[in-house]
Amino acid sequence: MALLEVKNLTVEFGSEDKPFRAVDSVSYSVDRGEVLGIVGESGSGKSVSSLAVMGLIDFPGRVTADSLTFDGQDLLGMSAKKRRQITGKDIAMIFQDPMSALNPCFTVEAQIMEALKVHEGGTKKQRRERTLDLLNQVGIPDPKSRMTAYPHQLSGGMSQRIVIAMAIACQPRLLIADEPTTALDVTIQAQIIDLLLKLQEDSDMGLLLITHDLALVSEAANRIQVMYAGQLFESGPADSIFAAPRHPYTQALLEALPERSEGHDRLRTIPGVVPGQYDRPAGCLLAPRCRYADDNCIKNRPDVTDFNGRDVRCFYPLNDQGQPTGQIDGQSTGGTV
Amino acid sequence: MLGFLFRRLGDIIPTFFGVTLLVFFLIRLIPGDPILMLAGERGVDPARYAELQAQYGFDQPIIVQYFDYLMGVFQGDLGKSFVTKKPVLDEFLTLFPATVELSIMGILFAIGIGVPLGVLAAIKRGTWVDHLTMSVSLTGYSMPIFWWALLLIMFFSTSLGWTPVSGRLSVFYFIEPTTGFMLIDTLISGEKGAFTSALSHLILPTIALGTIPMAVIARMTRSSMLEVLGEEYIRVARAKGLSPLRVIMVHALRNALIPVITVIGLQVGVLLAGAILTETIFSWPGIGKWIVEAMNRRDYPTIQGGILMIAFLVMSVNLIVDVLYGIINPRIRHKR
Repeated sequence: MALLEVKNLTVEFGSEDKPFRAVDSVSYSVDRGEVLGIVGESGSGKSVSSLAVMGLIDFPGRVTADSLTFDGQDLLGMSAKKRRQITGKDIAMIFQDPMSALNPCFTVEAQIMEALKVHEGGTKKQRRERTLDLLNQVGIPDPKSRMTAYPHQLSGGMSQRIVIAMAIACQPRLLIADEPTTALDVTIQAQIIDLLLKLQEDSDMGLLLITHDLALVSEAANRIQVMYAGQLFESGPADSIFAAPRHPYTQALLEALPERSEGHDRLRTIPGVVPGQYDRPAGCLLAPRCRYADDNCIKNRPDVTDFNGRDVRCFYPLNDQGQPTGQIDGQSTGGTV
Repeated sequence: MLGFLFRRLGDIIPTFFGVTLLVFFLIRLIPGDPILMLAGERGVDPARYAELQAQYGFDQPIIVQYFDYLMGVFQGDLGKSFVTKKPVLDEFLTLFPATVELSIMGILFAIGIGVPLGVLAAIKRGTWVDHLTMSVSLTGYSMPIFWWALLLIMFFSTSLGWTPVSGRLSVFYFIEPTTGFMLIDTLISGEKGAFTSALSHLILPTIALGTIPMAVIARMTRSSMLEVLGEEYIRVARAKGLSPLRVIMVHALRNALIPVITVIGLQVGVLLAGAILTETIFSWPGIGKWIVEAMNRRDYPTIQGGILMIAFLVMSVNLIVDVLYGIINPRIRHKR
């Protein structure tokens, strides 16, 4: 059994009769020692789905799922108190902006020790020693003097290391990293990812890596999940997705990588934006932006189907040559990518 | 921290100097001659008038008068009251504890009710709890003190008879002032019922005085709290698996209180201004009432001394607030 099992997770906001689905029937699982990468543009529901797993979606947001289990325990059915015992201990999360993730009023030491106190107890001395260990583990130079530092005295990279130390304090079995490097310098980004992967390997954690950096997931993740406008578009092993994308969106994302634009005058982009609450297409959500879309795509919404061992939400999944299969007339009526 | 304290103290001296300047000259702009006021309706003959003018130093050029006064102030001499002939400082110190007692109770009431109301409104944002607390606080803020105080007296004292109408203590008790704070004096006197009497006399003035600061603090706490609750570190705190109570009381409130503390400091000035009205209505023997009476008699030394001392008090409280601010907000403390 997988560590985290998510089946048809849906997160809705707004009124009951006209809800906005930020996350629409998304399913995935993460195993011990596995790295699952979730990629997609801004607004594709990556963060919201992970917040739902953490139990951090507030009223008026509504979370429903056929099943949401961690290590066999039903997360949605349990009491709030019981869930808090899992949150922060067995499932921990790292957020996007380290500079705002630390409480400016408390020292580094106090913030890390707090997590330990809530979940593991022990004496103050033990907690302090463990904190020192953690700071060492995440590669903070001169950890003793950093213990009593306040967040405003730390750099961004240093803050993110503290945030990571805080997240792994109780030795979680699943770590959710929500764009952990977006707010950092490029040179620091690589260090932080290396650190995360090392920690993941050392303790056999499951790691859910949310990012819009494709290059990053290609190196780090075992499996990849491509999301768009709250829906799962494609999922499968990382290597095969990069070798042969089955969904036109994945293909377009890969083509937008700067290194794949060599020989072209301009960087290739995907025109348009992710549909929001008020401009959702009736058919396939990608139809207005998809270069292969036809009338069928504009009128009907595709389901997730199995295509050559990969989950794909498309009427005309791509073949190994990157051409759509099963298209009736081969005519494009949609976007212009 | 010590350097910070000295820097702030350094700011106080020029401010204090400016206050003496303002007070001294503004009072003399008010029409009315103190000697004529002192003489009353029977008047005074020109020879005696000139004699009195010389005695009080009014025959000197005004600049000389000011510097004489200033020299006195720096030596701790605020002059003598024209009316009672007693040193202003002595009178001030006798009446001061009554005002301090009332002000402390007022600000405690304002903080004790205002902060929890603000927090509650923020947590229950958009619900009827929020709307109710915010309309109550808006009403409180818009209510003139003299009217609100009269309403309170009419309802609780006259109709219901729950509290006394005015004064600091029932006439049945005589308490020798040791600290000047009636609550403490009655407590150490050991006289039965005296403490309860002092407390019941304090209730209405406290509410009348504390209502406006309470409303301001409640609204400030709410908006500050709402801002903090949207911060990423609150989400991080919740992701640690902390209880909602701990997230709000420890992680959110501490940050939300930073701007509220500043407002509390500023409200102390409002409180002392309000004390003048409140003391007059409740016949509270404090400096507010004392200054009002001095104004009516053009008792220059008393007005000058009283206002100077109040200004000094407000500055000191704001100094304390600044220090508190440094304690609660590490970003200020470490700035050099």
